[in-house]
Amino acid sequence: MEFEAIIGLEIHVEMKTKSKMFSSGPVSFGEDPNTRVNPVDMAFPGTMPTVNKQAVINAIRVSNALHMDIDDTVIFERKNYFYSDLPKGYQITQQFRPIGSNGYLTIETSNGPKKIEIERLHMEEDTCKQLHSWDFSLLDYNRAGIPLIEIVSRPDMRNGEEAAKYVEKIRSIVTFLDVSDGKMEEGSLRCDVNISLREVGATKFGTKVEIKNLNSLNNIQKAIDFEISRQSIILEFGGQIEQETRRFDEGSKETVLMRVKTDAVDYKYFTESNIAPIKLSKEFIEDAIKTSPELAETKLERYKSFGLNDYDSNLLIADHDISNYYDQGVKSGCSPKLLANWIIGDVQSVLNRDCISIKEFKITPENLGKLVLLIESNKVSNKQGRDIFAEMVNTNEDPEAVMNKLGISQVSDEDELRKVIIEILDVNEQSIIDYKNGKGRAIGFIVGQVMKKTQGKANPALANKIILEEIGRR
Amino acid sequence: MKKVTKEVLKSNAEKLMFEMSDEDLDLLVNEFGVIQEQMSLIGEIEGVDETTPMTFPFDVTSTFLREDVASEPLDRELALRNAKDVVDGQIRLPKVVK
Amino acid sequence: MNYRNLSITELHNLLLEDKVTPLELVKEAIKLAKEDDNNAFEYICDEEALKKVESLDSSKKNNLFYGIPVVVKDNFSTKDIPTTASSNILNGYVPIFSAEVVERLEAQGAIVIAKSTLDELAMGGTGTSGHKGTTFNPWDKSKTRLVGGSSCGSAASVAKGIVPFALGSDTGDSVRKPASYAGLVGFKPTWGRISRYGLFPFATSLDHVAYFTRNVSDAAISLNVLAGHDDKDFSSSFKEVPDYSKHLTDSIKGKKIGIIKGVVNSMSDKDIIAVFNKTAEGLKEKGAIVEEVEIDEKLLKAIFPTYVIISCAESTSNNANLDGIKFGARVEGDSFEEVMTNTRTKGFSRLIKRRFVIGAYSLLRENADELFIRAQKCRRLIVDAFNKAFESYDALIAPAAPSVAPEFAHKSDALDNEYLIADNYMAYGNMGGYPSITLPIGFKDKLPFGINLTAKPFDEVNLLNIANAVESVTGLKDLVAEDR
Repeated sequence: MEFEAIIGLEIHVEMKTKSKMFSSGPVSFGEDPNTRVNPVDMAFPGTMPTVNKQAVINAIRVSNALHMDIDDTVIFERKNYFYSDLPKGYQITQQFRPIGSNGYLTIETSNGPKKIEIERLHMEEDTCKQLHSWDFSLLDYNRAGIPLIEIVSRPDMRNGEEAAKYVEKIRSIVTFLDVSDGKMEEGSLRCDVNISLREVGATKFGTKVEIKNLNSLNNIQKAIDFEISRQSIILEFGGQIEQETRRFDEGSKETVLMRVKTDAVDYKYFTESNIAPIKLSKEFIEDAIKTSPELAETKLERYKSFGLNDYDSNLLIADHDISNYYDQGVKSGCSPKLLANWIIGDVQSVLNRDCISIKEFKITPENLGKLVLLIESNKVSNKQGRDIFAEMVNTNEDPEAVMNKLGISQVSDEDELRKVIIEILDVNEQSIIDYKNGKGRAIGFIVGQVMKKTQGKANPALANKIILEEIGRR
Repeated sequence: MKKVTKEVLKSNAEKLMFEMSDEDLDLLVNEFGVIQEQMSLIGEIEGVDETTPMTFPFDVTSTFLREDVASEPLDRELALRNAKDVVDGQIRLPKVVK
Repeated sequence: MNYRNLSITELHNLLLEDKVTPLELVKEAIKLAKEDDNNAFEYICDEEALKKVESLDSSKKNNLFYGIPVVVKDNFSTKDIPTTASSNILNGYVPIFSAEVVERLEAQGAIVIAKSTLDELAMGGTGTSGHKGTTFNPWDKSKTRLVGGSSCGSAASVAKGIVPFALGSDTGDSVRKPASYAGLVGFKPTWGRISRYGLFPFATSLDHVAYFTRNVSDAAISLNVLAGHDDKDFSSSFKEVPDYSKHLTDSIKGKKIGIIKGVVNSMSDKDIIAVFNKTAEGLKEKGAIVEEVEIDEKLLKAIFPTYVIISCAESTSNNANLDGIKFGARVEGDSFEEVMTNTRTKGFSRLIKRRFVIGAYSLLRENADELFIRAQKCRRLIVDAFNKAFESYDALIAPAAPSVAPEFAHKSDALDNEYLIADNYMAYGNMGGYPSITLPIGFKDKLPFGINLTAKPFDEVNLLNIANAVESVTGLKDLVAEDR
């Protein structure tokens, strides 16, 4: 028997807004427990939800990027259940009218492009965080109420690779749109997989198994591929698939049973009547889209138009923060190509050396741009530029200030340089003869002399040009 | 309408995280009798099935959204002062088994 | 001096003329509150109130509420003052913030002297189900009659003359019914007119902030203070706030008033109906056009079951935060489920649990079509019918209750078919979010009873104008149940 897998994904994305979905409580990660909490987040009696404008804008932008229909009325429902991490005893979500519906995404797989349809995108709120020790659990409400978007695909994927590519693309979208930092390992992008197998050609779906806690693209692929073979073996031997929830075990690289699903939970959904329905004007929706940050594809096109090759463009885009840094730097008016070289080369090696991210990198994009401008306009040589850079890495001082501090200034005055060169040529006639006899490197010796005389401040390109002119005249 | 039994009500109470006495369950079965009778009468009102359910008392549609500005968080002592079991600035519960 | 039957305006004038100080007023109110024998109070803010009087900013003395003692129903959050909603599950809870309405009153200089008793979590209509037991009707010295609920303590404290104003909440008729039994003005403005931030929710789509005063003018000036949008309540209206007392005494000539015939017909107390009709005659004499208006009896009968289903369903969810973990009377257990279950089993009374199960059962997928959704559909039919009536009438009227305050023995909160219309029709005001007001029109056996007037949404100015006309017809205002 041959089986095919039917795979659908539910992705939760934690937004990096300044305040929470339904309260003005601050959103920030890694703080002391229960220090980023507002009365609403802890469900004190009488508190009421208020809807975060930026969260709505974010949801519109992601919906748009996923080619979805956008509902112009925002309305919420309550999902009612009791759990230790759920402060209100219900979660406010969008069950009946998700803000985005009927979208799709095209992924690149090893078998070519594939379109994955997306059923819905809705806004909701996160629960509080639980810290489990051996005999008790501790509750931290900092996370309670952080805005989430949930993106539900149709069961269009067939293997682990497709699922991983799909998640990768979603992650790229939410990070490039500045909606989320999209870190799977830290839980800001969480993925649940629904998977069932059926005989090739069959129309009926098999029993669905849910896999939770997948914290990397790699694990998504591995978990799905493991699960496909696990289920295939069971079916092959005439067994039955249990409807259950499993998790991926990092150690064994296998999925393991968490719980068998009994009756479907009835969440008793009904409209959240504390929030009057919010009508989004056409202008509001259009504006959210118009002012949306660029997606990776758009950026790529733009970088290519700068004259960057595919390889360099992709290197910059691979890290959203680096591409943001680059975009900031380009604003200084320097050559985008030269700036790209600096970032991919010198900047990247500092990041590697110090094991830091671009966010921790001292030199601001504005100052790096200025440095590139100094080099472009021949005010400093490449080599001098590196010296200035080395200083800036520690201080982020203005490159011109560093230039002056280091006493670097390039002799670019042609007349002055020509005077020096004539003097040197006058006492080095042998080199002129050598050059004329075809020994090209004799020029190198002359340049060296010029540099010595000008204490390295001569513009090398200019010096080269003048030397050749003067030799030609003799 | 199907008959509401004590067992069903008991299980509903458990899902709501409380226990009910036998006596109260009996009383509740009777109350459901009244409610179901009244609700089936409502079901016979002309046009009720074709009506759109009403959540809000009248058209309350608005365009208001809260600006994304963070307010000062609560002082932790204050946030936790009503919790009965607090350890290391967190609320303690018996171990939650996932 | 006896301040007991003075209105807010009269007290304000005494304060302005320095004939009394805020401290004297507040001390007197606290003294009366402490002498209370009707079980009106959850908590008397003895020290807190005196401190607040000391810190009053005398530059605000022109505010009508400056230095006025008020009572707040114990389902409004009050910062640093215990708030239990008369439920054991909230024993020991001391909120960290105040409700918007409390803040607005205090910003005016009002002094909260006590938190009042209610039916547990505001889910009852008798004033007997709070954790402190029965609240008595001050008009009945034998203490055999209820004052009505759920805002029982607030009603009792104003009727007794302890304060001239008390906050309540009204989800079905929880202010307007006790007002009838206690000889008071009970006013519930339009849904969304007053912020509900800090009001413990019972049934979100039906809950209203409401209040008691002893005359219509005080009801109007109070709304001037309380009305208006609040960014913290996304259901609160942006509609402009007019001066609600401006047209209070205008002529009602030509106003069209509809008597809800089906409601009057459902009542059997001839004395009450006679006084009601006489009041209607009085309105005619003032130039109003008073006619009977027909609302389908099936819909009138449907009000109560519809209300029960919707309110119970919303209440299960609204009270799901009461699990003992973040606040409240936690009861320990071996797992978090046990902690929640023990806390809720011990914390809620029997009545509350039954209501929650009714609500939860109605919301289940398999039952919703016949229960919750059907109730929501019926709500629309009911509201449509009344909206249609409001196209022709400035206000609809009927007796607020079919009787004077009943004796305890004759009243229970168990659900039954008795008085399906007469005792429960006022919930239509909550379903349609209409502004609705009850005020006294007469006495029977020395016990007061009232009329209810209701108007279309945001038509408070007109409603208060007509209510004021009723008051001048009956001459019944500033009533206080005197000690006898």
